[in-house]
Amino acid sequence: MTTQQSGSRLASVRSGVQRFGGFLSSMVMPNIGAFIAWGLITALFIPDGWWPNEYLAELVGPMITYLLPLLIAYTGGTLVHGQRGGVVGAAATMGVIVSADMPMFLGAMLMGPLSAYLMKHFDRVVQPRIKTGFEMLVNNFSAGILAALLAVLGAYVVGPLVGAIARALGTAVQFLIDMSLLPVVSVLVEPAKVLFLNNAINHGVFTPLGTARAVTEGSAIEFLIETNPGPGLGILLACMLFGSKVSRATAPGAIVIHFFGGIHEIYFPYILAQPKLILAAIGGGMSGVATFMLLDAGLISAASPGSIIALMAVTPPGGHVQVLAGVAAATIVSFVIASLLLGFGRSERRAEREEKTQQEAAEKQENNR
Amino acid sequence: MSSIEGSAIKKVVVACDAGMGSSVLLTSQLSKSLSPHGVAVEHAPVDRIPEGADVVLCHTGLVDRARKRAPDTVVIAFQMFMGDPAFARLEQAVRDGSTLAE
Repeated sequence: MTTQQSGSRLASVRSGVQRFGGFLSSMVMPNIGAFIAWGLITALFIPDGWWPNEYLAELVGPMITYLLPLLIAYTGGTLVHGQRGGVVGAAATMGVIVSADMPMFLGAMLMGPLSAYLMKHFDRVVQPRIKTGFEMLVNNFSAGILAALLAVLGAYVVGPLVGAIARALGTAVQFLIDMSLLPVVSVLVEPAKVLFLNNAINHGVFTPLGTARAVTEGSAIEFLIETNPGPGLGILLACMLFGSKVSRATAPGAIVIHFFGGIHEIYFPYILAQPKLILAAIGGGMSGVATFMLLDAGLISAASPGSIIALMAVTPPGGHVQVLAGVAAATIVSFVIASLLLGFGRSERRAEREEKTQQEAAEKQENNR
Repeated sequence: MSSIEGSAIKKVVVACDAGMGSSVLLTSQLSKSLSPHGVAVEHAPVDRIPEGADVVLCHTGLVDRARKRAPDTVVIAFQMFMGDPAFARLEQAVRDGSTLAE
């Protein structure tokens, strides 16, 4: 196999993984507003919140158990088969929701699009054959019957299955925490982010896992792994001081957009241009996760976008110093590694000097003529 | 290699993975320079680029998906989110109606 062939195969695998991940995150991301509403209500009104209020705290349970999974299921269904798919997906997802004693995000991400997919195929076969005048009757009852059947199936089969998978994943994360191995996750997460899998990882994996933990423990470290703006900030700072001429000029603006605006994509090109910088992102990510783990830091709900402002807004009372410490550790480590890798700008300065002397020499020649 | 005349560009779609983050940032930047020329700039997820786009802009890391989704549209890839020459190329094509090629 030639390198070109393997290169194009790699590219197609990459875009396939991106597309699948993009589908997962596109079920979650349009609903982040509801996640934030839930996170704010939780942070404010639960017994250890800023402003405890027993009556308003009653919002917390139903929102996380019903509202958020149903929104995900509806969005996932809509992506597959329009509003009709969304309705069937949401109704069918009620089955997995009542079957489990945890928020059924994974179940919703499965049942929503799957139910819509079945509806779509049913419609494709049946709709052309409906007698004139019976369209509404058939359409309403086919959607209703399918949704009811899938809800029952979800309650008895899919729910327990997905529940077991979700528990196993949660146990795996807990195992990594207990063994102090969680920082190793950064070795996968940071390179995957730069390949534009950042939303897929955060909203496809960490948001469902973290929400399950946040419900039982009040906060979750899972929300901090991908959203920590520290590694990117360290790299951008290093590029601002020691990078090429173009990097030095654009990095300050990128820092504001990245760190405060939370759009991490803005630092990916700096790594793609100089792939060795990925080591700085990994090192920074690992130090950040290690610090979060040691200090027992966590967030109440998903922080999106990964801006320092969003992180602070969903940090539980009394947890801000720990979160900031992890962000700072990631920034410092990533900055130091990136600066070393950039040779503190030595090679850039040399290149610029050479360019200048060449220019001067050219000018001199011009003058001599 | 497809191309388009600058004067034929009426709608530019900036695509990113979710269609909510970096593409929105670029949309607000680009529409400042392009809307005076009667060009609409929109943002979209790369897997759901809307019909009727004359030019699609996206990062090189997503360009395969954009081409698959919009095979008949000119897809311009950029590397940097700020100050990439691709944006200048698009702006120039719109300004003086010159040909814009992938």
